[in-house]
Amino acid sequence: MRPLRHPPRLGQPLLLLLGLAACAEPGGPVVIEVFAASSMTDALPKVSAAFERAHPGVRVRHSFAGSQVLRLQIEEGADADVFVSADPAHLRALRESGHLERIDELAEVELVLALAPGAPPLEGLQDLPRVERLVLGTAGVPVGRYARALLDAATPRFGDAWREAVDARVVSEESNVRLVRAKLLLGEADAAFLYASDLDPGEGLRRVPLPPGLAPAARLAAGRVRGDDARATEHATAYLAFLRSPAARSSLAAEGFTLARETPAAPR
Amino acid sequence: MSRSLVFALPLLVLLALPVLALALGTSPAELWSGLAHPAFMPALALSARTSLLSLAIVVVFGTPLAWWLATTTHRARRAVELLADLPIVLPPAVVGIALLRAFGRRGLLGDALAAADLELAFRPAAVVIAQALVASPFYVHAAAAAFRRVDTELLLVARTLGATKARALWRVVLPLAAPGLLGGAALAWARALGEFGATLLFAGNRPGLTQTMPRAFYATRETDVQGALALALVRAAAAVVLLFGLRSLPLGTAAPPGVRR
Repeated sequence: MRPLRHPPRLGQPLLLLLGLAACAEPGGPVVIEVFAASSMTDALPKVSAAFERAHPGVRVRHSFAGSQVLRLQIEEGADADVFVSADPAHLRALRESGHLERIDELAEVELVLALAPGAPPLEGLQDLPRVERLVLGTAGVPVGRYARALLDAATPRFGDAWREAVDARVVSEESNVRLVRAKLLLGEADAAFLYASDLDPGEGLRRVPLPPGLAPAARLAAGRVRGDDARATEHATAYLAFLRSPAARSSLAAEGFTLARETPAAPR
Repeated sequence: MSRSLVFALPLLVLLALPVLALALGTSPAELWSGLAHPAFMPALALSARTSLLSLAIVVVFGTPLAWWLATTTHRARRAVELLADLPIVLPPAVVGIALLRAFGRRGLLGDALAAADLELAFRPAAVVIAQALVASPFYVHAAAAAFRRVDTELLLVARTLGATKARALWRVVLPLAAPGLLGGAALAWARALGEFGATLLFAGNRPGLTQTMPRAFYATRETDVQGALALALVRAAAAVVLLFGLRSLPLGTAAPPGVRR
């Protein structure tokens, strides 16, 4: 190897480090960080866009993942201002640990059994063992927890053999509802438990009728994350109020969510 | 301290700090709870089985490929070399999607595989395929380099002494290249054990069936940080043991006779 003509200078690596540090944004508009359940991936950006129009100078940045993942990130000090979860248990746990300050119920969304485009049709839940590949959420993610609750509730009705056959069809456990849905859209799985809001008619996912009263509804709720930035707290409060405004409610309803109550819930 | 080491200091700190933090933040009790974690044994067993199988595939098919790459003057060598290296530069998630596109139900070979009643996606076979694919460049690279260092005249000498070409390769070339082959195989095995991204998309996540160690760690991490930390510690400890084991292999600091340095 040729000897290096110019020895490397210390300045370059230092500049590089400085460059990395400078990636943090300077000034500009106020940004509120909204951590939201994957089930809100389609619905929430529309609501947030309306919020931004009503509040010039405030920008909403989203981070979507399974509620259990977001909860963990908040527990570990992630810089979130608002947390929207598909399972109030996660919100309550965060409130008990002092991370959340208030919790608002927003909407409900029904758990549905969906079939991939091209998968053979099913008459109902009793036929579930006929599918070749079933995908669930993990036990930690709300959509997986609700699906297990539904299967548990259905087992006395259809029998233990039915349940064993269903369990044997599970090929994968995904960590959020969007990943579950992707397996259906890719055609790699035949059936999966999703939320009604994940069924986009254009994508060919079909719904299997479930016995009435069996399907649990996921309860979406939002909370304000405790922070020491008064301005961020103020905007987060405004955002939470906006989530319960008529505009936001009709936007959520259009995406397949059912509204929790006729009148907005009082903060608890 | 030499000046080059001073310049390397940031990198050394970066290498040491996370491992140190992992070791300092956990106690022997936590290490034990990692070993006793319900996700641990099934994932370890699956990881061991699949990674050894994928290593075998890589060695069996990668060795002839490496030999060809090391000795050929064929025009296609460059293109084949590029292809063999591709899994290193492709993000694992891209590899996963590409595997689905190739072997998935609606993939290129989907119909053919279905006709043959072969299911790959969501099966341990998918884990093996993903591991073999991402691990192969590490072995092929090292093996080709090892073969290039072997003095080809020794092969000629063996031939003039009456050895068939196959016998000459087996008795002369392979032993001389062995340290390089072993080193490459070790790297490939380590890569297969750590494989995560492509498996995630192609093989899914089902405990006991497709949930490997990295995937088990990730799944546990979502709900049980302490449990995940314990799993991570066990995995890191295993990696250190593996590394020491490899160091003690005769990977040769002194060149055996007949190897050009």
